[in-house]
Amino acid sequence: EQFGTLSSYGRELGEFRATTLNIGSISTADGSALVKIGNTTVICGIKAELATPPTDAPNKGYIVPNVDLPPLCSSRFRPGPPGEQAQAASQFIADLIDSANIIQREDLCIESGKLSWVLYCDIMCLDYDGNLLDACVIALLAALENAQLPEVTINKETELAEVNPQKLHPLNVTKHPVGSSFAVFDNTIVIVDPTAEEESLSTATITVVTDEDERLCALHKPGGSGLSAEKLQDCISRAVTRHREVRKLIEEVLKSKQQ
Amino acid sequence: MAGLELLSDQGYRLDGRKPSELRKVQARMGIFTRADGSAYIEQGNTKALAVVYGPHEVRGSRSKTLHDRAVINCQYSMATFSTAERKRRPHGDRKSSEMSLHLKQTFEAAILTQLYPRSQIDIYVKILQSDGGNYSACVNAATLAVIDAGIPIRDYVCACSAGFVEDTPLVDLCHAEETGSGTAVALALLPRGGQIALLQMDARLHQDHLDPVMEAAMTACRSLGQVLDGVVRQHLQEVSILTGE
Repeated sequence: EQFGTLSSYGRELGEFRATTLNIGSISTADGSALVKIGNTTVICGIKAELATPPTDAPNKGYIVPNVDLPPLCSSRFRPGPPGEQAQAASQFIADLIDSANIIQREDLCIESGKLSWVLYCDIMCLDYDGNLLDACVIALLAALENAQLPEVTINKETELAEVNPQKLHPLNVTKHPVGSSFAVFDNTIVIVDPTAEEESLSTATITVVTDEDERLCALHKPGGSGLSAEKLQDCISRAVTRHREVRKLIEEVLKSKQQ
Repeated sequence: MAGLELLSDQGYRLDGRKPSELRKVQARMGIFTRADGSAYIEQGNTKALAVVYGPHEVRGSRSKTLHDRAVINCQYSMATFSTAERKRRPHGDRKSSEMSLHLKQTFEAAILTQLYPRSQIDIYVKILQSDGGNYSACVNAATLAVIDAGIPIRDYVCACSAGFVEDTPLVDLCHAEETGSGTAVALALLPRGGQIALLQMDARLHQDHLDPVMEAAMTACRSLGQVLDGVVRQHLQEVSILTGE
């Protein structure tokens, strides 16, 4: 306990906590990733199922994200249906997948109008110490890059799908967004990667998500105290730097996994 | 199941184990910082997490408060990606509620609740990957988590599953053996006194076969007890090195 407090007080205002990543640990899931940012631990599991495509978009598949904040991650969460924070996080991730084009929904279609993949992305927080959204985005991205789907063909005579579990291929991840969260104190001080204690004391929070082309995918500032435009620009530049660090980490982990 | 022999002629099981052999156990304590106690256990391919909060004031309805002992609140849930088919209802379904009740009853027998009147101890268990022996992995993980939280406990609570195939008792069943063999006995034991905290059996078993199955399960629980003891001692050593004692 005392080591955790020391490091959070010893951190620079613009310094992220130590980020570690572990992929492919859950063999029952088609793709999985476990991320730790400081003490915040988030695990993402991808399960793929088959379904008929939506009638208004017969050449697209489905991606269904869900963020779960169970009572085991912190005493502030009670057992029962998903609370406000979990639902808001789920919606944030769903919007991010759509706007950032992480996976093209057309790639999930097996046969137009007949069969497509449904990717269930279940993100679960195991230990909550602030900065949930950043950890969720990294976990989701790493799990999608790690996921392997079996080859599916439609038998022409029986019209049934045949799954070949021996032939696996990875998903085509087109964009790689990474998020950075900041906490604001009274319009003056902005710190990066807040812990749970810092979040509870802050007057506003901002989350910026950028992709590898240095384009903004999402900018989330849900109310709170005001912030000047230049401070916001600083946040965006910090987010761009963070993107490079995280991309490097994910690539290193993926490469060592392949070896 | 046609073509799937649970016990080969040479006496080897599906994964190459002998009938009385346990799966490889790896466990760690104190993995989460927010919780008062936490533990993670891997028994073969089954991965379980246990987190303990408490003792603290009774939350929710004050009417649940007991004047002379602590209330134990358990919740068992499985991650949606823990099984081969995605689990649509991770908690709230009948099986999870039954498991939560069993865990609560098991730990009410083991924890010294009289020391904490008018308070509540929460035990949350989550299965990250399921390959048979879910209840056992939960109980073992919860024991370690309760010890990590510093809550006094009568003895280690060790659990193991057992089955019976071709006149041989099998211990520590994996998923294929649980669904295929017909009989599955779950036993939770306090090893030092040999006290049984929970015993559950589904499906039919001849009376004469009960004794060997129980014997095998109890021996397996005792071995697990030694493994858990080793984990606790090692964790204490690591912690005392870190704090410089």
